[in-house]
This record gives sequence, C-alpha cells and structure tokens, in this order.
Amino acid sequence: MNWQRLKSRMPKIVINIVVLLSMLLWIVPTMGLLITSFRPASDVVYSGWWTVLTSPLKFTQYTAENYQAVLSSGGMLTAFRNSFIITIGGTVIPVFLAALAAFGLSQLHFRGRGFFYALIVLMLVVPTQMTFIPVLRLYNKLSLSGTFAGLWLVHTGYGLPFSIFMLHSFFQGLPKDLFEAAHIDGASIWTTFIRLAIPLSVPALASLVIFQCLFVWNDLLVALIYLGGHESVAPLTMRLSSLVGSFGQDWHLLTAAAFVSMVVPLVVFFSLQQYFVRGLLGGAVKG
Amino acid sequence: MKKSLFVVFSFLLVFSLSFGALAQDRVVTMMGVWGGQELEAFQEVMAAFTEKTGIKVQFEGTRDLPTLLQTRIAAGNPPDVAAIPGPGAMKEYVEQGALIDLNKSLDAKLLEEDINDAWIELGTYKGGLYALTFAADIKSLVWYRPAEFAAKGYEVPTTWAEMEALMDKMVANGDTPWAIGLESGAASGWPATDWIEDIMLRTAGPDVYDQWVNHEIPWTDARVQEAFEIFGKIARNKDYVYGGPTTVLATNFGDSVSELFTDPPRAMMHRQASFITSFITDANPDVVIGEDVAFFGFPMIKPEYGNPMLGAGDMIAQFRDTPEAAEFMNFLASAEAQEIWANRLGKLGTNNKINPAVYPDDLTREMAALLNSADVFRFDGSDSMPAAVGSGAFWEGMLQYVGGEDLESVLEYIESVAQESY
Repeated sequence: MNWQRLKSRMPKIVINIVVLLSMLLWIVPTMGLLITSFRPASDVVYSGWWTVLTSPLKFTQYTAENYQAVLSSGGMLTAFRNSFIITIGGTVIPVFLAALAAFGLSQLHFRGRGFFYALIVLMLVVPTQMTFIPVLRLYNKLSLSGTFAGLWLVHTGYGLPFSIFMLHSFFQGLPKDLFEAAHIDGASIWTTFIRLAIPLSVPALASLVIFQCLFVWNDLLVALIYLGGHESVAPLTMRLSSLVGSFGQDWHLLTAAAFVSMVVPLVVFFSLQQYFVRGLLGGAVKG
Repeated sequence: MKKSLFVVFSFLLVFSLSFGALAQDRVVTMMGVWGGQELEAFQEVMAAFTEKTGIKVQFEGTRDLPTLLQTRIAAGNPPDVAAIPGPGAMKEYVEQGALIDLNKSLDAKLLEEDINDAWIELGTYKGGLYALTFAADIKSLVWYRPAEFAAKGYEVPTTWAEMEALMDKMVANGDTPWAIGLESGAASGWPATDWIEDIMLRTAGPDVYDQWVNHEIPWTDARVQEAFEIFGKIARNKDYVYGGPTTVLATNFGDSVSELFTDPPRAMMHRQASFITSFITDANPDVVIGEDVAFFGFPMIKPEYGNPMLGAGDMIAQFRDTPEAAEFMNFLASAEAQEIWANRLGKLGTNNKINPAVYPDDLTREMAALLNSADVFRFDGSDSMPAAVGSGAFWEGMLQYVGGEDLESVLEYIESVAQESY
C-alpha cells in the first residue's frame, strides 16, 4: 500500500482524534491547576486533583474559599492598580518607540543604518540579569528606583531590541510601491508613517502588544529589583507571591491566585486576537 | 482615539511621579522572606512599633531574599534592616562590609540582661555583634500521636537502641514507622539535612559538629558517613518509611506530616521542627495540638553526647546606620515585640523576659522550657555553611542519596563543592 492510498483511506476523524488527544494532553496541567484551586486545603494535601474525576458532579467537594482568601487579602486592589499602571506604561512606550525606530531603520535611507540595526539585534543576547546591578546603581543616583517611571524605562529598555527586530522585519515586508506612491502624492515621512505604515502593521503591532503586555504583567523579578516590594508600589505578582509563607505554607492559595492574575492577560489576548486573523494587507496593493 | 490615549498616558505619568514626592515620614525599610500568616503576624509587630514611636516600617517580603538582597547591597541601596537566612549569610555580609555592628545600635543593658549568651554568641563574628536572633525554632523533635501509641502499646524511646526496637515492632505490627517528605521547591532536600545534623550531634558530638560545619573535617570523614548511613537505613527502606524513597522524594515536607492523621495512620512518627504545628492544623483542622499530637526529643544515640538541641532562628541584621533602624532593632530585641511573634506563630522568643503565658499552647511552653534548659544548642548546620554547600550541594546530595545513589560518590560530590566554597 503506498502513501497516497494510505492518506486517502485514513478518515479525517483519525486526524481529528489525534489533534484532540494532543490538545487534551496539553491542557491537563492547567486543568489540574484549575481543579486544585477549587478544592479545600485539607483535600489537596491528601489526594491528587484527579480524584475528583471519579465523581465530578459531587459539588460539596468544591469550595470557593481559596478565591475568597486571595481576593480578600489586604492590598489586592492597590496591587491590581499598580500592575495596570506598570503594564500600560511598560507596553505603550516600548511599542511606540519600536515602531518609530523600525520604520526609520527599514524605510529611511541613511548611512550606517545596517550598523545600528545590527547593534540593536546584538542587544537581544545581553542577559537581563547582567544589567541589574549597574542600572540599579544609576537609578539610585538619579533617584529613579522605586518609581513607576523608572520601571517603565527599564521595561522599555528590555523590550525594545526584540520589538524593533520584529517590527523591522514586518516593515521590510511591506510593498515598496505603496511608499513610493505615497511619496509621489506628496506625503511627508511622518504622514507615511502615521497614515500608511501604522494601519498596515496593525497585526504586527497587536501581536507585539500582546507579547510585551504578557511579559510585563507576569514579571516579578524586574519589578522586585527596581521597584522594591513595598505594598504601595508592588504589582500583583509580588502581592500574590507573598501569600505563601517562607516555608511554602498555604501554597494551595497560589492555584487560585494564578487564575486571578490570568484574567487580565486573557482579556488582552482575546480582544486583540482578531487582528492576528484579519490581514489588512490582503487588498492593499490591488486596490 | 490617539489623543485620548495620550491624555491617559500623561495622566499616568504625573500620577506615578507624584508617588516619589509623598510626605517624608520617619521610615524604616525592611526586607524579609515572610508571607501569609507570618507576614500578618509581623505586620502586628510593625504596627506596635509604629504606635509606640511614630516611625513607619516599609516591609518588602520576597522568598528570593538572598538574590535580591545581594543585588541591592551591590547596587548600594540595601534596606535598613533585613531578616537574613542564617549565620552563614551573616558572615558573608560582614566580609563585604555591609552590616552595622549591633553593639552600636542595641541598648547595652538590654543585651546584658534580656538576651542569653548563646544568642549573642550566634550573632558574633570577628569581634562584632552583627545579627539579632529575633525568634527560634527547635528542630530535634519527633511528632507522634499519643493515642495511637497507647492503643498499640508503643513506648516513647529515649535511646537509639529503643528507637530501633520500636521501629521493628511497628513493622512487625504492620505499621510504618516514619513519614518523611523532602520536596520543597528549589530548596528540596533540606528536611533531610536536618536529620543528618541531628544524628551528627548525637553520634559525633558538638565539637566534631562544629568542625564539620566549618569544613575542618572533610565530608568523606567516617563520622559523616556514619550519620548518613543511620539516616539511609530509614529513608531508603520502604518498610521504615511510608511509600519508600520515591514518596520521600516526591512528597512536600509540609504535607508529609499529614500521613500521621489518616485513618488508619499511614505512618507513626515524623521528625520536624516546632513550626510544623501550623502545617498540621492547616491541613487537619480537627487536630488539637498537644492532645492529638505531641512530640518527644530526638533520642540520644551515644550516651556520652547526651541530648543536644538543634535549632534555627529568624536572624535580623542592620544594613544602614540610621536612628530609626536602631530604634527598630531595639524594639525587635524587646520582650514586647517577641511576645507578639511568639503568640501568633508559636515561635520561641529569645528575650528571656517573655511572659510564658503568651505562647499559644502548653506544647510551645514545653518547647520554650526545653530550649532554655538545653546546655548544648547548635544552629542548623546547613544554614551556617556557605550557600553553595549548605543550600546547594548538601540538599542535592541528600536527594541523590535517598534516590539510591552510592554514598561514597554523594559525599565526594559534596566535598568537591565544599573545597571550592570555604
């Protein structure tokens, strides 16, 4: 039996089952986390989360206690606010700057742009951890440590190389004819950027925003170093990590905490997801 | 839409910058590892301090304290005060010149009258006092259920020979003697190091113990080997420990004690520090500490070394020489502050003027008495070793050994790390 025949004989349902199985496998850990987050602490200690599967409809074995404990612990609201402030600033600034830089590097013809681009890409390989001490020293001198502005600045710094790299390749892929046409019509560089490059690159910008947003929202280490863990500035990640004792007591709260902090990234992802699908470029040149 | 985004953005900028310009109160900054219940208890301590002096305490809690603290020290903005991991870390910070001598900050009369010499000795290095032991845990405890012991005719052993006889009797009866759990995230393995330390103190004595901690004898020494073997006889034997080595490696140390409270009990005994009581009641709300569960001292092994006490403590060091920080250190040394901590967490205070009535139960009072009367007290050895060994190779070595690795190669591995770290 040759390959072609095998392929035609294999019903679609087999492929679907394989896909479904691998999806299930992929989702198992998350499901375990979700189920654990609804189980009382004493059950979690004695038996694994899968034990509920034997009688999933016995609702007495579930509890919302963990969520109550997480949401009612002091300072949650402040932590949410702080996380929002950090994430908005830490996303908008780098994405905006990266769009400007990437446009310049890909569409403007000036000497040494290859060199600058290489320099920026090289920065991708600098480990974040290496920069902590020198940057923190500088921050202490400028009294930027412990401020949101300072944290925005470092997130911008850490996020820019990758953002520029990604947008640069996207801008490179835009058809030259479009920009030439705009130039002939008398558009300035700024107009070309705002009216042409930005709308065309919405899918790329959206995915970049998702990346950067997730990175900043989930970040604990960078905030801990530059902001300090004090309650009035601590983001959600820090607040949640302090729910657990120094010996890991109360770790069952972390399962609920994980889902609480997951809500925002999920909203961001699903609201921007449509831009991934909708390719603006499709009809742009033909039109 | 772009315009409105810009407005929001600039508003946020102004908003965040205004944070830096908040009123300049008298403030102490502190860093610690505490979270959850511990954090709530410490918040009470801080509130009492603020009420008394008007000085605010800004507390940063993180479980990555060693990394974060080291970064901050290197960058030149350490917190005023920090709870440090142990004497080993204290020595490293002193070598870096990061710590303030507490003889300058603490009231001499308070040091003289309220704090036992054992604690002052613990915080002394190179002629200065660099850490205050705020509270202690004692570790040489074996937890058991008196009712189960009585029902099955088991007796609390006082010597190791009696302990071995008891374990065999339990096995013959169809019971499993021990519950041990070594999983603790990145710190997995530490509960086993406590076993080795307890055994070392009892088979080799406190002097050899100190030599071992200071790496004056190698890890391959016969006395270290003996301690590992005694532990291995239990932890590597599925008759003596619930679930055998695999369960030992995979069970969280805090969950492991709960094997004593299943029906019927999966194990009869659990060796762990005093803090384990909070884990017991968290997972088993019905258990009454002191009634349903009690402890006996880890039995003596060689009579000439008696019954020494192994322990650990919350050590607090001062990194900046400010009057507010000094005031806070004095407060932490006082009976008043330690009573709150002891009452809320069942920890043992180090100020000898603490009113025993503040301890949450009789069991804790018993421990406090045990601690004050112990003539040989030794701080957790792994906390006193350089981090690469004490919170690195030693932990890993224990996991490998329990996992079935050959003892000689495990000890050689730890020794090779130790030679580079001292």
